[in-house]
Amino acid sequence: MSVKSILDQKISRKSFIRGMPAVAAAIAAAPAIQIAQTSAAVAAEPETKPGYYGAPRTWMWNPNANTMVDTSKWKKDGPYTIGFSNASISNAWRVAFQHGVLWSAGQHRDEIAHLLVTDANDDPSKQIADIQDLISQGVDILLIAASTEDALDSVVGRAMEQDIPVVMVDRKVKTASNYITYVTASDWALGRLEAQWLCETLGGKGNIVMLPGIAGSSVAEIRIKANEEVFSKFPEIKVLEKQYCDWNPATGKSVMAALIQKHGKNINGVLADSALQGYGAIEAFLDAGYKAGEFPPMTGGDVARMYQLANQHNIKMVGIDYPTSMGITGIETALDVLKGISVPDKVEVSFQVVTSPGADTVSVKGDRHLLDHVSMDDPGDLSPSNGLPAGYNPSTFNPDYPK
Amino acid sequence: MSAIAMDIRRNRLMLSYLIVAVLLVLLAVAGGLLSDRFLTWRNIGNLLQQLIVLGMVSLGQTFVVLMGGIDLAIGSLVGALTVFLANFLEWRPDLVWLALPLALIAATGVGAINGLLTVVLRVHPLIVTLGMSSIIFGGTLMYRKEPGGSVPRAFADIAYAKVGGVPLSAIVLVVIFALAGLWLQRTRTGRSIYFVGGDREAARLNGLPVDRIVVLAYALSGLCAGIAAIFLTARTGVGDPRIGAALTLQSVTPVVVGGTILAGGRGGVLGTFLGVLLVTMLNSLLNFVNVSSYYQWVIQGLIIIIAVGIHSARRK
Repeated sequence: MSVKSILDQKISRKSFIRGMPAVAAAIAAAPAIQIAQTSAAVAAEPETKPGYYGAPRTWMWNPNANTMVDTSKWKKDGPYTIGFSNASISNAWRVAFQHGVLWSAGQHRDEIAHLLVTDANDDPSKQIADIQDLISQGVDILLIAASTEDALDSVVGRAMEQDIPVVMVDRKVKTASNYITYVTASDWALGRLEAQWLCETLGGKGNIVMLPGIAGSSVAEIRIKANEEVFSKFPEIKVLEKQYCDWNPATGKSVMAALIQKHGKNINGVLADSALQGYGAIEAFLDAGYKAGEFPPMTGGDVARMYQLANQHNIKMVGIDYPTSMGITGIETALDVLKGISVPDKVEVSFQVVTSPGADTVSVKGDRHLLDHVSMDDPGDLSPSNGLPAGYNPSTFNPDYPK
Repeated sequence: MSAIAMDIRRNRLMLSYLIVAVLLVLLAVAGGLLSDRFLTWRNIGNLLQQLIVLGMVSLGQTFVVLMGGIDLAIGSLVGALTVFLANFLEWRPDLVWLALPLALIAATGVGAINGLLTVVLRVHPLIVTLGMSSIIFGGTLMYRKEPGGSVPRAFADIAYAKVGGVPLSAIVLVVIFALAGLWLQRTRTGRSIYFVGGDREAARLNGLPVDRIVVLAYALSGLCAGIAAIFLTARTGVGDPRIGAALTLQSVTPVVVGGTILAGGRGGVLGTFLGVLLVTMLNSLLNFVNVSSYYQWVIQGLIIIIAVGIHSARRK
């Protein structure tokens, strides 16, 4: 953990103990530290990676009407008790996501009295009990990442029947009327952007291989459909192969190695919907003796290692992460509901388009370049789109939040 | 001589129960001190409502463990039955009266097959039930990989219904445990489960129908899994092949915490009941005091080892 974040925590904890309005102190203290350290950052969000705040792009750019939910019926006076029922913290993505929730609650100490957190360890049966326990503790609102769409549907609906508003985050339940809104990211937009970038980078002509995630999972299948929408506009783009890689680096590597054996230099582009298999694919090219400049353009996102490898070997790439920062947005959305501020029926957090230098195309421009997004020292499994303070390291991060 | 031995055993068992009961009271007091909402009527109702699934599978496991076996097919069986119930009820919501007995018969049947296989093949029950678990799980996945199906609202309500402020599921659980306790203590067949678990050869030499009793214990375990599945399906509203995955091992915890020894022949359902209360209350309390979920698993493991450690230290 960086010196800065330790310092920040001490300041906010001390002011909290003294009974001072903690957030006022934190807001006052944070920019001062920030200015002392760097001068480039924007004042509004002084100590976090920019790009994950503000109105979602899919909401702003939506060519149709947005459906807004009137939350005045849930409006009540704070400070609030928020119950957060997490499906699990069983992988790096979920850990960073939970860190976002905890950290964000710490940033809203003036409005949140308690954040109660449960972890279901991917067991829907435990999560039902967790949600009932949270309701028993008198929470004002529930923030839920459901372990399964179906099994949690009934208990979530019953919470709403007891007049406890529910905001879903990351994973929803089946019946839309059982919750107020759902905080997520758009797999459609992600799939289109990556495919459009690849087609334009290849000049509308070439052979590509698709490396999607887990067969049958809605995320993977939506991304494939979005990819195919784009391919249908480029008749000279040929999809040589489509092989599922389970979002697993080892599978990505072995699948790509076989494809290199089969097609060799005929592969002009690689569309991986995540860096999890994407960096495995880069490793396969390295094993096959590819040198800097010989790699086909690739897509990916989600973990730092792919960006690092792309930088190291001068690979043209675009990366879009499924942002763990939606945990932060989840807390903010829950607060909106309790304050009676209308929310969209679906909150799709803005992801950042990351390109290697010079890889922008006509339609897809990078929000930032590789090394603005990750540093070469970051742990390889770091989820870069965390929206957390600079220097975030999942293994040492210990956010202070109202327990 | 044997009467005195029985007496000592019974006293030891009462001591085991006492220890778990004391732990339970300590936990409740700690809960009351740590959170002013823990001992509210609302949360006690909530706790009681959570007992049934773990309670039923642990009761089933108690029969088998007392008889000297182990049933590792419970979780898969519960998962398969939730899939059956939710899909059947989605197809014909009006046939609840038929679906429930069918589920119970199927569950008992699977249990009986487990028992028969251990008797006929003379294979260790660990292997037989593990194999059965794999067969059931695979078979269920062939039929349905994802959670699915649905249940009518009236059926879902049995998991959430209250009678005079007490959850219906808790009343059902207490009645079943009481019946099971009486049956084990007061009937010839019930007591013979203990004899078979204590010394199978001696039981055989004494002319007990050992094989039949083994099959019966496994069948009862299946029946209990069936009842658990009914309430679990009502609670979740869907059939999910994976939902029972954690239940198999969870079903063993209250049994051993309650003083029933894994070697068989000693223990009882009261201990299991207290064990179920202890585990459920502990899980809930850990949620209430908002401890990091990492610690939750550590604390649960410690409680199991400590409780079992106390029981076995006293036996020496």
